Amino acid sequence: MKRMIVCILLLVILVAAAPVAAAGDTLVVAMAADMTGLDPHLQTAFTSHKVLEMMHGKLVEVDEEMNVQPSMAESWEWSEDGMELTFHLREGMTFHNGTPVTAADVKFSFERILDEATAAAARSKFTSIASIEAPDDLTAVFKFAEKNVAILVDMSSNNAAILSKDFFDNGGDPNVESVGAGPYKLVNWEPDNKIEFTAHEGYFIEGMPKIKNLEYRIIPAEDSILAGVRTGEIDFAIINEPATAMIASADPSVVVATAPSLSYHVLQLNPGRDVFKDVRVRQAIACAIDRQEVLDVAALGEGQVTPPVVQPYYGADIDSLFCYQKDIEKAKALLAEAGNPEVSFTIMAAADEPPTAVAEAQNIQDQLAEIGVKVDIEILELGVYVERWLAGDFDSCAAWNGGGSDPNGTFWRYWHSTGNLQKVSIFNTPELDELLVQGRSLTDPAERRPYYIEAQEILAENAPWVWLYVGYEYRVMVPSLKGFIPTPDGSVWSLRQVYFE
Amino acid sequence: MQKYILKRLLIMIPTLLGISIVIFLIMRAIPGDTISAMIGTQYQLTEAQAESLRAYYGLDKPLITQYFNWIGNALQGNFGYSVRTGQPVMSEILSRFPLTMEITILSILLGTIFGVTVGILAAVYRGSFFDAIIRIFAMIGLATPSFWLGTMIIYVLSVHFKIMLNAGNYVAFSVDPIGNLKQVISPVLCMAFSFSASVMRTTRSSLLEEINKEYAQTARAKGLRERLVIFGHALRNALIPVITLVGYQVGYLFGGVVIIEQVFALPGLGRLLLNGISQRDYALVQGSIVFIAFIFVLVNLITDIAYGLADPRIRYD
Amino acid sequence: MTEITAISQIDRNAQRKRNFQYSLFGRLLRNPGGIIGGLIILVFAIIGLFSDQLMPYSPIKNYPKERLQAPSVEHPAGTDEMGRDVLSRLMKGASNSMAIAFTSVAFAGIFGTILGAIAGYAGGWFDNLIMRLMDMIFSFPTMLLALAIATALGTGFLNTVIAISIVYLPIFSRTARGTVLQLREFEYVDAARCIGAEDARILFRHILPNALAPLIVQVSLGFSWAILTESSLSYLGLGTQPPNPSWGSMLSQARVMMELAPWLVIGPGVTIMVAVLGFNLLGDAVRDLMDPRLRSKGL
Repeated sequence: MKRMIVCILLLVILVAAAPVAAAGDTLVVAMAADMTGLDPHLQTAFTSHKVLEMMHGKLVEVDEEMNVQPSMAESWEWSEDGMELTFHLREGMTFHNGTPVTAADVKFSFERILDEATAAAARSKFTSIASIEAPDDLTAVFKFAEKNVAILVDMSSNNAAILSKDFFDNGGDPNVESVGAGPYKLVNWEPDNKIEFTAHEGYFIEGMPKIKNLEYRIIPAEDSILAGVRTGEIDFAIINEPATAMIASADPSVVVATAPSLSYHVLQLNPGRDVFKDVRVRQAIACAIDRQEVLDVAALGEGQVTPPVVQPYYGADIDSLFCYQKDIEKAKALLAEAGNPEVSFTIMAAADEPPTAVAEAQNIQDQLAEIGVKVDIEILELGVYVERWLAGDFDSCAAWNGGGSDPNGTFWRYWHSTGNLQKVSIFNTPELDELLVQGRSLTDPAERRPYYIEAQEILAENAPWVWLYVGYEYRVMVPSLKGFIPTPDGSVWSLRQVYFE
Repeated sequence: MQKYILKRLLIMIPTLLGISIVIFLIMRAIPGDTISAMIGTQYQLTEAQAESLRAYYGLDKPLITQYFNWIGNALQGNFGYSVRTGQPVMSEILSRFPLTMEITILSILLGTIFGVTVGILAAVYRGSFFDAIIRIFAMIGLATPSFWLGTMIIYVLSVHFKIMLNAGNYVAFSVDPIGNLKQVISPVLCMAFSFSASVMRTTRSSLLEEINKEYAQTARAKGLRERLVIFGHALRNALIPVITLVGYQVGYLFGGVVIIEQVFALPGLGRLLLNGISQRDYALVQGSIVFIAFIFVLVNLITDIAYGLADPRIRYD
Repeated sequence: MTEITAISQIDRNAQRKRNFQYSLFGRLLRNPGGIIGGLIILVFAIIGLFSDQLMPYSPIKNYPKERLQAPSVEHPAGTDEMGRDVLSRLMKGASNSMAIAFTSVAFAGIFGTILGAIAGYAGGWFDNLIMRLMDMIFSFPTMLLALAIATALGTGFLNTVIAISIVYLPIFSRTARGTVLQLREFEYVDAARCIGAEDARILFRHILPNALAPLIVQVSLGFSWAILTESSLSYLGLGTQPPNPSWGSMLSQARVMMELAPWLVIGPGVTIMVAVLGFNLLGDAVRDLMDPRLRSKGL
């Protein structure tokens, strides 16, 4: 019997250890979740964008410091009054199917995004566009109905990818076929298994991409992904679990690239609910939570406690903000003042988005027990969670919200009284409105900063949300892979320039 | 016999229709729909945009209309399109099915061969030390959750031997047999482990029963050697319950493979279904469930027929 | 006089002893597998019932400073990423798993038996309807069906119980129906009918009690299935919800920590295994006793 077990084990090992041909002209990338669809204008999940950005070109892109850089547009200029933006496209660009990229495609793409029937994910970011003109093949002119300088950053998103007008005119279906202008073109997509690409010969940046073939593998278990990088079967991996990243960091045989993420973990309190109508109850919750403990317990300490604004330059000093140090006495006093000794509420959390949400909720539940606040946890599947989140149908939720590269994008939608997510935040004040309007109309970061600092102080003091921490974006790779640049927005655009040494 | 098969096939139709209604309702009863699952938390759609998407997928029509649209098309072989990939549901299912079936069939083969062999040995040497070990092994096999066994296999191999069983590079058997076997061997071992335990128990007990029956005593009295009594006479009869067991366990294994695919990150029907459920990909989930039920009912029918062939005492009319 | 009393006392003692020997419990005690299984279940039942008193630590309270500690004297099964004592969580998990297993087997047993018995006794369209329904449930792989129902209903104790019970309904109703079909034709049933007993009375007073043996066997085998199904469901994120521990969810959360803290994977797995083993051993012993045809085969 024992011999039999040994034999079976040996067999497993032998078969498992059979070498796999690893070619140097293929870059193998692994991640845990597959993309949710091919149409770049419709996809919202972070993971989808890490695939789509390999296939699609945008007018501009952002670098690792979140500065806007030329991409398909060689240059651009604003009119004096800031109501008109002219892009000059590169010469000689082509789509994957060989047709040339012209200003007509730019016009078509943005008109498609603005068309309500498309249900484009980023439509609301571009509603300030009044019209788009294409005076010649290489010039696109955007005219605005209202001033919005931050729009340039939004144009770097995959949701603003330039698609081929020709392809649509000929009845092409973007859900089934992918025709973009990005560095790689799609060869084969086996959902939940792998996505294969080959280099786009006509890519508009000379000499890129450097590696001929690209293959994404979908492996839901991140421990398996790490094992694959260790054996060299996978060259590059996108890791979300802090535990896996920690194990990888301790392993000298792999390289871990880390960047602080722009997506932030936050406990949203709903001021619309009776229990949180009184600001003192919200403040008490904020004072009773040790943010570092949440980070330690839920994400193994892999991250940083964050102020309300996640973009480092605009972030307030956390020690200056209201109750960023746990203060049980103050919390109890606030509760007593509010005259509401028996506070109880429910924290809503999505099952896997992010993987730490459930642990955060459990730790907060535990911490709040210290001031006698009773917390229930409700774990929902992402789809259900989103539906209730959008409707503001929750007492409180352990959320993971996208930051973006500009504080205006992070703040306006939640905290300006006209923001389209007011239903989710249910909080605004005239002062806050004023500060955000100022911040959005200015271009010089040094001038904008004070407005956002003040906005953060107001938010921390009023505690509609309890901002917790930002995690890291982890990329694990084999040591021979060079040239990757980690970015805080989670983009892997630099895969087009990586090479094996 | 033919009449019997025909009758069984006819009964399948209402059963499958019933299943299609039930699963249709279950999917609609799950809170959250395709659209909200697509939106995610990071972006914003207006209510009007969500409505236009719902209209696009026909989700704004009354339930009854939706059902009859779906079943009407399904009867003509069109099970609809997956929301995620835009591909026909049937082609998605057929591209995933071979892997799940492969794991199921290999587990059955391995489990049956191993289980029957060891079961016979245990019966022949009943009461011996070997028999005791085998019986303990069988009890443990039945009690081990396959998803845990799978996790442990991954743990031991990846942490201690630095071997990665699955690099997400699943290839079909027809493309690369070795690569394919490399991927499926550990899930197959996991599934076969507990399966072989029940085969072993059934083989052992039913062989013991046959050995003690009168015809076996008579054969022995005639002076036939024990080996001939067992292999010439008793075994054939003893295997009938084993066939039944194997047949009815196919469905059980099939359900287990769904979880084991998740553990080993294999792109089979199980993962298609689980992802489909979480994305509320209605057409995909409905199609796969009806498909699985169809296969399952078919396997049960085949089992019954095989049972009849193996045991001449059973007549179907 | 005294002598006679004494003798009859001896007689009675012997009688009692014999009664005991042939009683279910007595026979169970002579089956080594049954004893082991019974003991295991007894231990789990005690832990499950008195988990609140027996747990060394709170299964929910976080101790951030004691995160991911390997098994030691203070924490025999180690601590998890929140610094919670794994042994306490396993004990609380026993309470949750056992409660779900018992309730769902009871649900399935009671409703399945009633449905099956009435179907078998009444026959006709009702029998047909019930049996087609059961066929439908039966034409799914069990795990898949439980999964689909649990997803539709949502998580939580009652929903998990309902999902598991529905899946096991056909087993009980078929068993009950089969036995009732046989018993229906027995003479004593005819006799009861002759003296004008009502159908309900015949079914529940005269037939069902005699059909109990095969049903008890199914019940005893059902527990281990229920435990395995519950842990599979919670492994997939359904079933018992955090912070309340369940063996399956403990396992799935531990997966990513496997390399940092293998005890988090080993503890719950071994616990599930031992619990299922206990129920299997006990179930086998009960089956051997109830079904004389299978007795003394020793498995």
